[in-house]
Amino acid sequence: MLQSVEQQLPDPETLNRLLDVIAKEGIVDRDKLLLDSTLDSLGLKSADVVVVLMAVEEQFGVYIPLDDTLSEAKNLREFIAAIALHLQKAKP
Amino acid sequence: MNCRRRVVITGMGCVTALGLGVDRLWQGARSGKSGVKLLNLERTQQQQVQTAAHLDAFNPSSCLDKTIVDSTDRFAQFALIAAMEAVQQASADAPLPINERTGVIVGSGIGGARTSDDQHFAFYVSKTRIDPFTIPRVMPNAAASHISMRYGAKGPSFAVSSACSSGSQSIGLGLQAIRSGSIDTCFVGGSEALITPATFRSWEVLRVMTSTLCRPFSKGRNGMVLGEGAAVIIIEAEDTAQSRGAKPIAILAGYGTSSDAGDIVRPDPDGAARCIRLALDDAELKPADVGYVNAHGTGTVLNDISETMALQAAFGQDIASVSVSSTKPIHGHALGAAGAIELVIAVCALRDQVAPPTINWVEADPRCIPNPVANIALSREIPAALSNSFAFGGINACLAVTRAT
Repeated sequence: MLQSVEQQLPDPETLNRLLDVIAKEGIVDRDKLLLDSTLDSLGLKSADVVVVLMAVEEQFGVYIPLDDTLSEAKNLREFIAAIALHLQKAKP
Repeated sequence: MNCRRRVVITGMGCVTALGLGVDRLWQGARSGKSGVKLLNLERTQQQQVQTAAHLDAFNPSSCLDKTIVDSTDRFAQFALIAAMEAVQQASADAPLPINERTGVIVGSGIGGARTSDDQHFAFYVSKTRIDPFTIPRVMPNAAASHISMRYGAKGPSFAVSSACSSGSQSIGLGLQAIRSGSIDTCFVGGSEALITPATFRSWEVLRVMTSTLCRPFSKGRNGMVLGEGAAVIIIEAEDTAQSRGAKPIAILAGYGTSSDAGDIVRPDPDGAARCIRLALDDAELKPADVGYVNAHGTGTVLNDISETMALQAAFGQDIASVSVSSTKPIHGHALGAAGAIELVIAVCALRDQVAPPTINWVEADPRCIPNPVANIALSREIPAALSNSFAFGGINACLAVTRAT
């Protein structure tokens, strides 16, 4: 039942907001955040992921636990898509 | 020839989200009835996760004197009530001698969290008077000390604090102390009452709590459900139990513990496998002797994969014939009490020859135990049972029990 995350990128505005959060909380240069970059190459470790998710919760008001799609996200595209899936589900 | 003392279990008691007593816990675990319920925390507007396996109507005064209630934190009250049940069972056939050769080793991950929260709130926010007995209520050894005081147990008394392995390591240390001959009897177990607003938030921001249902080893799992409670077990040297005419419930046959010396939160299957092997060796069991494993099985993505790898490594081909389940969706993850509560379940499984189910399971995850006694209990032969606990800090503990002869 795991959804493919490939086609689940959010709308451009949400994408930009998420990239801003990742740049700020993960302390990564915003220009280096290419969707195909691996989390490893960006220096985003599990502790950074947790901090990013906390900031997403503060900004979007959605609690996101570490589920399969998040745990398996290897690159930025998958990571953002996994977050977007939770934001989508939480919409009223 | 092995001539070390055998150690038996003669009494068990517990307090969990299912209510007071071993029977309620075991009936819940066996029938798949969960103690998870809605949680409405005070003093916070930030609560995101809405459920926990908590005791919403706990009334310590129904079991304990006012002087004790007034001087103890919730976690010590849980432990005292569990100890009372355990002593009652251990004394059923003959009086239980409690003296200088009786130890009390009751673990807790944190200790008196609710008292800390209340008193910090009084200090920082409401600016009211601090309880002068805050420190003796908060200290993690308060549960052990109150049990010692209540029963006159004058042997070693202390708490093991090793996060989610606190309960299991306390039981293991008690086993070793009796084998060494330094004591004959020991109250062992764990207690935790950690569901306070700030602590709950701390678990939320770690992202390990599910916002839906805890479904260990299942596809689609997304975290644990927090619990609270205590379990206290009376263990005795078999020779002294026999001489007083007590009837053992089970044999506490083995204990293994190891440290990953790796990551502070990420589990390591090698360390976990090592502690399972150590417990089997200590109990002089072969993997094929084990009918049931009560898994740590938190329901987080990582734990359940890592634990599966550990079990496969420790059991080899025999893993296919062992029933493995997690009962955490029933009683929640009770942290420092988890190992003790889950050993109680393993002993009940052994006694009734029934493997309790992993509830909420929906579909196999190819990286996990393929059928963790999914949703329905299984009657089967269980010559021996194991209980796993894996803690933050990379601390692994495994306990083995066999049928009383």
